[in-house]
Amino acid sequence: MRISKRILGVALGALLAGSVSASAETIKIGIIGPFSGPFALQGKNFQAGVEAYMALNGKSVKGNDIEVIYRDLPAANPAQSRALAQELVVKEKVQYLGGVYFTPDAMAITPLLAQANTPLVIFNAATSAIMNTSPLVVRTSFTTAQTTTPLGKVAVDEGVKKVITIVSDYGPGVDAENAFKKAFEAAGGQVVESIRMPMNTNDFSPIMQRVRDSGAAGLFAFLPSGPPTLGFAKAYNETGLKKAGIKFYAPGDLTQESDLPALGDAADGLKTSFHYAVSHDSPENKKFVEAATKAIGSAEQLSFPSVGAYDGMHVIYKMIEATGGKQDAQKAVDAVKGLSWTSPRGPVSIEPATRHITQNIYLREVAKGADGKSINKEIQTFPNQKDPGLATQ
Amino acid sequence: MSASTDRRWLRDVIGIALIIAAGLAGYWLFPDNLALLTRVIAAALLVLSIDLITGYCGVATLGQASLFGAGAYAAGIACVNGITEPVTLILIGAVAGSVAGLLMGTIMLRAHGLAQLVLSIAIVQLFHEAANKASAYTGGSDGLAGLMVSPLFGMFAFDLWGRTAYLFGLALLVLVFIILKFVVSSPFGMLCRGIKQDPIRIRAMGSFVFPVLLKMFVISGAVAGMGGALAAISTQVVGLDSVSFELSANALVMLVLGGLGSLYGALVGTVIFMGFEHFVSAINPFHWMTMVGALLIAVVLAAPGGLSGLLDRFSASGHRAKRGKA
Repeated sequence: MRISKRILGVALGALLAGSVSASAETIKIGIIGPFSGPFALQGKNFQAGVEAYMALNGKSVKGNDIEVIYRDLPAANPAQSRALAQELVVKEKVQYLGGVYFTPDAMAITPLLAQANTPLVIFNAATSAIMNTSPLVVRTSFTTAQTTTPLGKVAVDEGVKKVITIVSDYGPGVDAENAFKKAFEAAGGQVVESIRMPMNTNDFSPIMQRVRDSGAAGLFAFLPSGPPTLGFAKAYNETGLKKAGIKFYAPGDLTQESDLPALGDAADGLKTSFHYAVSHDSPENKKFVEAATKAIGSAEQLSFPSVGAYDGMHVIYKMIEATGGKQDAQKAVDAVKGLSWTSPRGPVSIEPATRHITQNIYLREVAKGADGKSINKEIQTFPNQKDPGLATQ
Repeated sequence: MSASTDRRWLRDVIGIALIIAAGLAGYWLFPDNLALLTRVIAAALLVLSIDLITGYCGVATLGQASLFGAGAYAAGIACVNGITEPVTLILIGAVAGSVAGLLMGTIMLRAHGLAQLVLSIAIVQLFHEAANKASAYTGGSDGLAGLMVSPLFGMFAFDLWGRTAYLFGLALLVLVFIILKFVVSSPFGMLCRGIKQDPIRIRAMGSFVFPVLLKMFVISGAVAGMGGALAAISTQVVGLDSVSFELSANALVMLVLGGLGSLYGALVGTVIFMGFEHFVSAINPFHWMTMVGALLIAVVLAAPGGLSGLLDRFSASGHRAKRGKA
């Protein structure tokens, strides 16, 4: 037993060194995501995206079978993230790492990549700075700055010159506030007041009063998706701000499709900007939604992390094609720099300098679809948006 | 008297030898999981620190991660600012942890019972919010990244395989464990146990309760802080989870699983809990939490004194049987 294990180790070592022919090998991909706990739905979307891609594009690349290994990381926990990545690389011998929902978890993995000779394709974690921590990271999701920036111009174009910003007081909220402020002021608007709410705020009527008192013609909001958003949208309706004509702007995290049934009519008319709507009208998206719905079980659970995972798998497949199944992280990453394709979300490409995805951002409005269910209806397109957070560096 | 002292010495020497043997066995048997094993060691230090104040002093806490996090962030911030020597970083973690322990003890020891427990939760929430707010220093919810720890003794780098981190952590754990063994069996340790059983009586004997407990809080803080610093060094990232209520609660669960009031129990509980968690979450990443819940219920029902309590019961009944024969 021990001896056979050692032989196996030697054989795998030789494989890693690239001295064994790589034809018809099983290539393993390790996916780290929140598959249990409060964020399990986002992890399930990762899985749905991965399975949809493999169902539509086959389970092998150039004769190499693809095996996906999932590892659960229920909440942001960098120490556990590093341990999982290390185990996937050292023990399971994965050639590619993918997934990662939270920024600190990605930050814990990137220092390992060079030594592991493994690229990391991020399906979600959305802080700009991750891309600078290793040249072996590619990202197929979005950044908050990327999805928020177009809103600034939208507001000014709609004649809203004074806006109050209201965000939850944590990393992504502050990012959203800064991105919006910058874009809005560049377009000629004025932010009259910026409110940062504690994370666990659940009574929003005092805040709505401050909106009214501020004299702003519109509000910009960012809250973690789920129950807080629900309460916020309800308060916006019930305190009469909506009737008073005060416009509501937010990035699409707030109206992700899996939350829309709970939001109900309260969400009608909310304008958000985002990179993907499940209702996006294209043949690619139709095929994707069908396959992903089959994988996840019900159409209502489908939301944006699934498309990040789907495109992430596309990038990994292209990497495997380019390297012929041999483990060569730098070559794999180089091969996808500048890669462009038609994703379910629309035309996208990997920007060579930053390895972050360039994509269309859509302005959407929550409306009733053909079947009476709420959807994010795309009403305006901002083509080929890069990440402003990275572009300025 | 001296015979029983001798026997205790022998037992502790064997116990510590067993810990070292188990640690080295882990190194040889699971060479691919050293990052996990290092996490276990860091958690073991945290659980030991809870044992000191909960198991030995009877002060229940659900906020111990504030001490762990203080150590982790102190070591992390020092590392980012150019102090990269690992042993120094551990010492910085210990100092930060004990300062936080002093603070936490001063506040918590003003209250008793349930109010004390609630205070501990409030403190860890405050630490969490402080770390979130001070994002210029801590990175906030993005985490404090970019820790470049220099090689241990200038020779052994903290790398992908995690050998250095693990052996360094193991040495630290054994050292801390030996020191704590002396602490808990010293007159000071006895006094703590006395306070746990009957604080009024201890006061009536003419001893002050508050300074004794506060001293234990400081020691406990140093141990937890070292655990945090070890986690920071081996992960190279410090996240808000290291000052979270969840971590505090999990660590308390591990302690209860292993058995309160015995340093061995703290280690056994940590290893079993995290090992089991890792094992089932790899088998089924989607529904493993159910299994962990079932294990906890089973242990609490079958062994209310924790796993080490179960062991003691077995050995005690063994002794009795032997004595009965003789």
